[in-house]
Amino acid sequence: MSIFRKAGFVGVALLASVGTANAAGELNLYNWGNYTNPDLIKKFEKEFDVKVTVTDYDSNSTALAKVKAGGHGFDMVVPSANYVKIFISEGLVEKSRPDQMANFKHVAPEWNNPSWDPGRMYSVPWQWGTVGMVVDTEVYNGDINTSSLVFDPPPELQGKINMAPEMNDVLALAILYHGGELCTTDKTVLKKVRDTLVAAKVHWLSMDYGLVEKMPRGDFAAASYWNGAGFRARLAKPSINFGYPKEGYLLWMDSLMVLKDAKNMENAKLFQNFVMHPENAGLISSFARYANGITGSEAYMPADMATAREIIIPDEFKAAGHFLPACSKEANDIYTAIWTELTK
Amino acid sequence: MTALFGKRKKFSLRHQPGFTSIAMACFVLLYAPIIILVIYSFNEGRYIAVWEGFSLQWYIAAWNNEAVIDATLRSLLLAFLAALISTVVATMAAIGTTRTSPYRGLTSIHTLINQPLIVPEIVTGVALLIVFAAVKVATGFQGFFYLVLAHAAFCIPFAYLPIRARLEGMDKTLETAAADLYASRWMTFRRITLPLLWPGILAGAMLAFVISLDNVVITEFVKSAGQETLPTYMLGQLRRVITPEINAISTVLLLISLLVVSLYFIVTRKRT
Repeated sequence: MSIFRKAGFVGVALLASVGTANAAGELNLYNWGNYTNPDLIKKFEKEFDVKVTVTDYDSNSTALAKVKAGGHGFDMVVPSANYVKIFISEGLVEKSRPDQMANFKHVAPEWNNPSWDPGRMYSVPWQWGTVGMVVDTEVYNGDINTSSLVFDPPPELQGKINMAPEMNDVLALAILYHGGELCTTDKTVLKKVRDTLVAAKVHWLSMDYGLVEKMPRGDFAAASYWNGAGFRARLAKPSINFGYPKEGYLLWMDSLMVLKDAKNMENAKLFQNFVMHPENAGLISSFARYANGITGSEAYMPADMATAREIIIPDEFKAAGHFLPACSKEANDIYTAIWTELTK
Repeated sequence: MTALFGKRKKFSLRHQPGFTSIAMACFVLLYAPIIILVIYSFNEGRYIAVWEGFSLQWYIAAWNNEAVIDATLRSLLLAFLAALISTVVATMAAIGTTRTSPYRGLTSIHTLINQPLIVPEIVTGVALLIVFAAVKVATGFQGFFYLVLAHAAFCIPFAYLPIRARLEGMDKTLETAAADLYASRWMTFRRITLPLLWPGILAGAMLAFVISLDNVVITEFVKSAGQETLPTYMLGQLRRVITPEINAISTVLLLISLLVVSLYFIVTRKRT
């Protein structure tokens, strides 16, 4: 029986070690994996004497499914723009009124009234970024600010292209490439989109994640991908650059919201206000390496970020950025059909 | 007849054409990625596939990463509790299905016990999400208990199969002899059945432990706030940049699994 007794002791010791610390309050944040700076959490815990627990998810849909089921125990969630809209319309989030919080004045003007949360009554900016062209200029030294690099590739890049396997992003880029409206159901545009994608796929090497590991060692020379990854790839190989397609590129933003059934409502609101402070927003960006939408936070980021072309959109390209709206079911059905044909 | 016989004589299990090469290919495919994963856990650089020299820094990084340590401890505790519960239940079930005279529904009970082996994990995951969510809302209790319960449930068949196999292989006359000598049923169980069954029980518990330790899908659906296990923590890293820290954690997890599986073999070989 001594084995059992010993095992019992180990069990008790483990239980004690994973139990909650005795802070005055608690806060349960449900966020993307590897997305929350531990220093940010420690700072908040110290300032407000609140024990913060971060739990990870790996996709918007997982987060939505768990929150919708109920009984999850989370206080806050950080969905992408199109999902922010769903969380609001499903009545899953609290109208916490960030627009009336003390630090709201730090939110950059272009982010304080987004289409998915007019007036910012629910959500606070966490991080934002773009989907554009990551190109190794050692292989191709022409104009990189065009999505023709992946949709009608020049000979140097043929067979050396990677696409992030994100249906909505790829289709939206192709629609913009043909001058269409996002979420369009116009068959003539979509016919062109389909033909372009099918013809282009012959020149694609892969549709995969992991650009930061693969591109610096030369697995491929061009990609449609997220800017933060492009930035990290450049740090590993200086000839890698990031292009903003003039035909149109995509913007995304993840926003922090308070859940309606939050147990620690007041702490959650405190946290929303907390991350709008430039110093704290700077901490978020220093860790996950994307911009955050808070004016003045650049001062608290590593020097290599504040000047990075991937992170700070040059003025001449600002107008070509588009947010992905939540499309109609009809549009989604057509896009899924095209995507299925493309990926089979 | 002779032709057939001649042909049969030639046939030998040890020397089938292509057997060696197929087996080698299987071993390479199975183990090469794991070996590469282990090698890169000692990488000095921050990319998982560009070798930049030997270093232990990612093991140190993982050791200093509170989230990793927290998730590891939780995973071990969860696996220990799940193995304990599922083994007790599986032992009772195994005795109940082998040490009784056959009764109606015995086969269906057997199938029911093994149900987690047949039903896809994702189905169990979604089903548990829905049921537990309702219970959590109704009771307001979100503790670790749900994860333990879920893990114990799908670990039962893994513990059940070796215990049942052991029971079926055991000499029933010993138990009959004990009963003949006026031992009570409890005494027979305590002094005869249990000591003989012990290797089977240990084997079942270790299998259950490893199965629980590795589980991703069901955990992802059942976990509540602050209930990250090591596998779900690793899943969360995938979309973002993966560093050799993940290799280091995987290597340690691999070592734990290997250790438990080796123990399983030592225990089962010694006594049979």
